Amino acid sequence: MDPRAFVAGMSALGAGCAMIAGLGPGIGEGYVAGQACAAIGRQPECQSDVTRTMILGIAMAESTGIYALVIALILIFANPLVSFYN
Amino acid sequence: MNGPQVYFEIPVLGGLPITESMRNQWFVMLLILCLCVFLTRNLQKIPTGKQALAEKAVVMLTNLVDSTMGEGCRHYAPFVAAIMMSSLFGSLISVIGLRPTTADLNTTLGWALIVFFLIHYSNIKFHGLKAYLKGYLDPIFIMAPLNVLSEIATPISMSFRHFGNMAGGLVITTLLLSGLAAFSNAILGFLPVPLLQIGIPGVLSLYFDLFTAAMQAFIFSMLTMAYVGNARS
Amino acid sequence: MEAIFQSFVTIGWWELCVTICNLLITFLIVKKFLFGPINKMLEARENEVRELYATAEADRTAAETMKRDYTASIANAKDEAAQITANATKRATARSEEILADANRQASDMVRKAEESIELEKKKTLNEIKDEIAGLSVMIASKVVEKEINEADHKRMIEDFISKVG
Repeated sequence: MDPRAFVAGMSALGAGCAMIAGLGPGIGEGYVAGQACAAIGRQPECQSDVTRTMILGIAMAESTGIYALVIALILIFANPLVSFYN
Repeated sequence: MNGPQVYFEIPVLGGLPITESMRNQWFVMLLILCLCVFLTRNLQKIPTGKQALAEKAVVMLTNLVDSTMGEGCRHYAPFVAAIMMSSLFGSLISVIGLRPTTADLNTTLGWALIVFFLIHYSNIKFHGLKAYLKGYLDPIFIMAPLNVLSEIATPISMSFRHFGNMAGGLVITTLLLSGLAAFSNAILGFLPVPLLQIGIPGVLSLYFDLFTAAMQAFIFSMLTMAYVGNARS
Repeated sequence: MEAIFQSFVTIGWWELCVTICNLLITFLIVKKFLFGPINKMLEARENEVRELYATAEADRTAAETMKRDYTASIANAKDEAAQITANATKRATARSEEILADANRQASDMVRKAEESIELEKKKTLNEIKDEIAGLSVMIASKVVEKEINEADHKRMIEDFISKVG
């Protein structure tokens, strides 16, 4: 078997596994949105502030998922491991 | 899935490439220049139309900088505006079919490096070199490597967040386009054009191109303000 | 010519330098062409508004001073008018009293003169009557006595008699 094909296949598998990290931000963002809804329900006059902070917080929480995405992208499109066998 | 296209290489230092991202950056800069000149042309004492818009934007941004970075940071407002506009237009040019400049790690990392430099420059300027170096040994001296690591992580996380969002959108849009092309070839192969490509990507583009672009531009500039403002306090 | 593509995720110092330069140039563009003119315009407008407010304040102060002056002068005028009226009334009263006194005096003068002339007339008439009576008496007596007596003696006697009687 061509070792490059093996590495490429395993990299694709690794990329898929990396995207399991999407779970975390999903749960976290859902929790953040729920808390923001509760906060707005308690104090509707703070809606714009809460929304702004929530969006910022969601973006921050999303970065872990984005890191996983970047790893997956690197594994698929710019795989440094395949070049060992060139 | 390709990276940015290389148009030609300047034959010095082993070949310096002129890439698609650079060309699009220059296009964005031209766009910003035209926009600025257009908005501030023929200014009147009593604002009308575009001038009111420009003044509103400038005042809003100045207020945002004031409230986020604290007093005495007004001179950062043009820089924040530059980052915001570069990021926003750099991402939004995907709407007219150009490759977004922010889907290139070099672009976002370049911006993040400037922010990194600004953070440490303000920190040294406001607290002095001694207090700045002492800040690395903050709770106890063993923490020094972790503190250095967290400082280095700042630009990396900023740039990767922005790049990841835009590149993810680009990948998904491209995958969807090729998938739709294959699908319409399979079921509507008798037609000369891939019919399913019309309309459906627009819905996704609304999220990935417009919403994510605006969101990431806002977040990148917010984080810039927060980090630099934090370094001053 | 085959199109050359970079890898999807790459980092290169040249690309980073170009990006950094581009952002700095963008910063200069935004500062020079957007924030500069707009901030200058905002500042000019702020100055103008401040000037307007200062002018308005000065105008208001001037108007207030003027109003105070006017109020004072109007009060003065009222006082003066009242004084003038009072003076005029006083003078008029004095004048009318004078006129009345004059008229009274003249009237009493006239009455007195009339009385005097009446008295004079009376005396004159009385004297005439005396003379008449004396003449008549003499005539009557001469007629009665039919005797020529010295008229002068008689007259003297009758006058004595009358003055004893009257």
